[in-house]
Amino acid sequence: MPVHKRVYIIYDRIKVLFTMKNIRNFSIIAHIDHGKSTLADRLLEYTGALSEREMTAQVLDSMDLERERGITIKAHAVRLKYTAENGKTYILNLIDTPGHVDFSYEVSRSLASCEGALLVVDASQGVEAQTLANAYHALEHNLEIVPVINKIDLPSADPEATKNQIEDTIGIDCSDAILTSAKEGTGTLEILEAIVNRIPPPGGNDAKPLKALLFDSWFDNFQGVIVLVRVFDGKIGAGTRIQLMSSGKCFEVSQVGIFSPKMESMHELSSGDVGYVIAGIKQVTDTKIGDTITNADNPAQEPCPGYKDIKPLVFCGLYPTQSHQYENLRDALNKLRLNDSSFIYEPETSLALGFGFRCGFLGLLHMEIIKERLEREFDLSLLSTAPTVVYRVTQTNQDISYIENPALLPERYEKIEEPFVLVTIFVPSDFVGPILDLCQEKRGIQKSFAYIGKDRLKIEYELPLNEILWDFYDRLKSLSRGYASMDYDFIGYRESHLIKLHILLNGEVVDALSLIVHADKAYYKGRELTEKLRELIPRQMFEVVIQAAMGNKIIARESVRALRKDVIAKCYGGDITRKRKLLEKQREGKKRMKQFGKVELPQEAFLAVLKVK
Amino acid sequence: MKTKRIAEDTNQTHTLASLKPGISEKSLQPSSLYIHIPFCLRKCAYCDFFSVPYDESFAYAYTNALCKELYLKRASADRLKTVYLGGGTPSLLPDSCFNRIFSCLKNNFHFTRDAEISVEANPGTLTQSKVELLVSLGVNRMSLGIQSLSDSELKILGRIHTADDAIRSLDMMRISGLRNVSIDLMYGIPGQSLDSWHETIVRSVEYLPKHISAYELTLEEGTRLYNEIKNPPSFLKGGKERFLDEFKIPHEDIILDMYDQTIDHLQRSGYTQYEISNFAQSGFRCLHNLNYWERGEYIGAGAGAHSFLQGKRSVNVKDIHDYIERLNSNQQPERESTMIPPAEILKEFLFLGLRVTEGICITDAKNLGLDIVSAVGELVQAGYLAVDNDSVRFTRKGIVLSNSIYIRIFEKLGL
Repeated sequence: MPVHKRVYIIYDRIKVLFTMKNIRNFSIIAHIDHGKSTLADRLLEYTGALSEREMTAQVLDSMDLERERGITIKAHAVRLKYTAENGKTYILNLIDTPGHVDFSYEVSRSLASCEGALLVVDASQGVEAQTLANAYHALEHNLEIVPVINKIDLPSADPEATKNQIEDTIGIDCSDAILTSAKEGTGTLEILEAIVNRIPPPGGNDAKPLKALLFDSWFDNFQGVIVLVRVFDGKIGAGTRIQLMSSGKCFEVSQVGIFSPKMESMHELSSGDVGYVIAGIKQVTDTKIGDTITNADNPAQEPCPGYKDIKPLVFCGLYPTQSHQYENLRDALNKLRLNDSSFIYEPETSLALGFGFRCGFLGLLHMEIIKERLEREFDLSLLSTAPTVVYRVTQTNQDISYIENPALLPERYEKIEEPFVLVTIFVPSDFVGPILDLCQEKRGIQKSFAYIGKDRLKIEYELPLNEILWDFYDRLKSLSRGYASMDYDFIGYRESHLIKLHILLNGEVVDALSLIVHADKAYYKGRELTEKLRELIPRQMFEVVIQAAMGNKIIARESVRALRKDVIAKCYGGDITRKRKLLEKQREGKKRMKQFGKVELPQEAFLAVLKVK
Repeated sequence: MKTKRIAEDTNQTHTLASLKPGISEKSLQPSSLYIHIPFCLRKCAYCDFFSVPYDESFAYAYTNALCKELYLKRASADRLKTVYLGGGTPSLLPDSCFNRIFSCLKNNFHFTRDAEISVEANPGTLTQSKVELLVSLGVNRMSLGIQSLSDSELKILGRIHTADDAIRSLDMMRISGLRNVSIDLMYGIPGQSLDSWHETIVRSVEYLPKHISAYELTLEEGTRLYNEIKNPPSFLKGGKERFLDEFKIPHEDIILDMYDQTIDHLQRSGYTQYEISNFAQSGFRCLHNLNYWERGEYIGAGAGAHSFLQGKRSVNVKDIHDYIERLNSNQQPERESTMIPPAEILKEFLFLGLRVTEGICITDAKNLGLDIVSAVGELVQAGYLAVDNDSVRFTRKGIVLSNSIYIRIFEKLGL
């Protein structure tokens, strides 16, 4: 063996011995707005990863939208260097997690990359639904949880009660919970010490075949796809031929490194490390979150556990308001897709709306974010159909198909199943009555009902996802004056008595208005929907008959009277401009309508279904 | 009238050249003059025209400024075929103001021999001597704002007069020998029934006006009536429903019946409908208003008055102090002026021209580059428009939907 190679081996052994002990991989988990991002900023600031000057508030939330909504959408990983009170220098890898329920799979993959987590709870709000959901994720991965009671500077803060709640609901010891105010910067040192002293160093073996968990990826215009990994065993560096275990695809690594939070290339990443890998990957769809990266020439036996090929749960049709924007919309979707493999789209044609796309999202928030980005970043004017879940339909020949557009539901089928979720709600006991009614109205089945502390309740319901798609969260918030919080988890498909409801305008089915509803609610929905449409459809030069039908059976009928009078009575005195403007305004209003046959439909009509309880 | 310096017969039909955009119209100067008198004793509840409370000394200062504006504009007019003093309430002005305005007109403008000189008047502000004065000054047409012959309806409208006042005013005009009398009537008044409207028309016709304008009440945002109807006063708390019930604007179907009834009754009584809201005995159409609908140019004078000159539409400052001040310092009182772009010229041609029941001339449309006949094919088939000889016009079915139909036509023509 040549000398220099032996030196390398020795160097690597020393590094293993030295660094493994000094690495800490951790996440911060919290309910939305409990101060996760601010705390992350404090840690970056304290460890000097960024000077105060470089800090724009909340560095980790890099997308504008994330910052505006105060949530983290994409995970990031940042390496911090910290010299502890024991005099030793540690490498702390902070792995940020998305803060919303739609991204719970991404959260779980980020947590799988860590040995510990800071559980941040707002001292004035206490435990909320996502506190619990995230804490359970962390416990599933056997993480060491460090409770952090944040916002103790607020007058309404009650750290003791918060501690009790954590102990009662999650069952973790809070005797040494850290009290902080991330806003004011108190408690930061205690947190860093706790990370070093309470979170275990990573295990793993450099000598074993490479096994690295892919927990995030995105597309960069210059470098192609960048993936974030946690190396469990083995090493990875420039020149390594890697294989993605779920697809078997191979790539050659051109660069590895870390974020400090600036991108810094490294010689290699070895077991216990968190960092990025660039390997000439062209498409972000090739890098599935949760996949395992191994060495193609010396592959690992088993992938990292927990990989799931996640599929979108919520779909809607997106159409350009003006048909000439179709190409622009396609390009925009393509660009967004580059950075978000969890979102999918395919071309769709609607009789009523023309050419557009059927898009799939992880959840409602995900859908909202994509829609908003399309409109904001790409300056598109969009019309979206009501969101729908994916139905599982067993056809008469026993073939199973997934229906994500109600218009495509076949007339005959063996059975139809819909996705169910387990919804966990935290609510002050004062508001529990109306919330139970709400869950009942939404076809919920109560699974548990328990007091948390004196005056708060944790309620669990199994609900059809379809029922919580639109106004559930808003109504939950308004029924509880903003105090309730919720989280949900997909639990599987269940057979339901569902039927397709058509809407006809002057005898013709408008495909974009079709919906799948529970049979018990069909009559009610049909009536409500036709009534809503009657209010929304402006009077036209002929009568517009609106009908709701189940199969061939008309179950509700309304009509919009023909416009009878539309005239400017007075036109004299010379102010012609004003009359002309009046007509122009009317004309503009008409331009915003979608033509369906002869009938003109306002955009709101396509969302009418959402306004029906 | 000695002011009719040129004795040629100028009663030609309006030349169609005035419709054409481009250079040809620049050589022609307008032969219509509008004068705005912005004073009222009290603002009517439904009115959104520009007016301020009457004050006599103010009226003199205003007349002064107005005459100055007329003087400044003397060169921009051709021989005048029509002059229209509108308001506000022009009949409020003191005699001396009228004397000044008319001598200013005579000194600075030429008139065709049979020029139409109109003055608007409101019942309750007229005296026999004032009518005589106006006639002696050359006024040959008066338009009286009667609105209704039901006192309770007049009250709802916030008018200052009663039905009797209106009848007395009509008598004064008859006594003065004024032949061309026009009256304004209004339907769709809150609380009005089909019967009471019928009675107003029938009785009005008995006084034999030569011309009748019958307008549907339009609730204009910002007017007193609009606010009262949209947000009834709080003191009505208990009786709010009753209030709303009594003062409800009649249902659309009733209003359409009122309109039908108007057309039918006036037709039977010898009046021809010649515009959406205007009816006249033969030879008494309002030439001044016809000029607006034919897209003829006109000069406007007075605060808030509109002008249409050399393809530009402009408006004077509304504020009376501002108006007076500008003229005192020899400034033109225009507030803004807009050149009408070609596509808008075409739209104006269509929506103004179609207001007139005889419709627009197909040849004129063709000269403007519009293939109107093929554009309106479907609308003719559906019975909203009729095409005959050289004109396209509204049918009775179409006229009440005119706005929607204009927009259809614009769409068809790509305007």
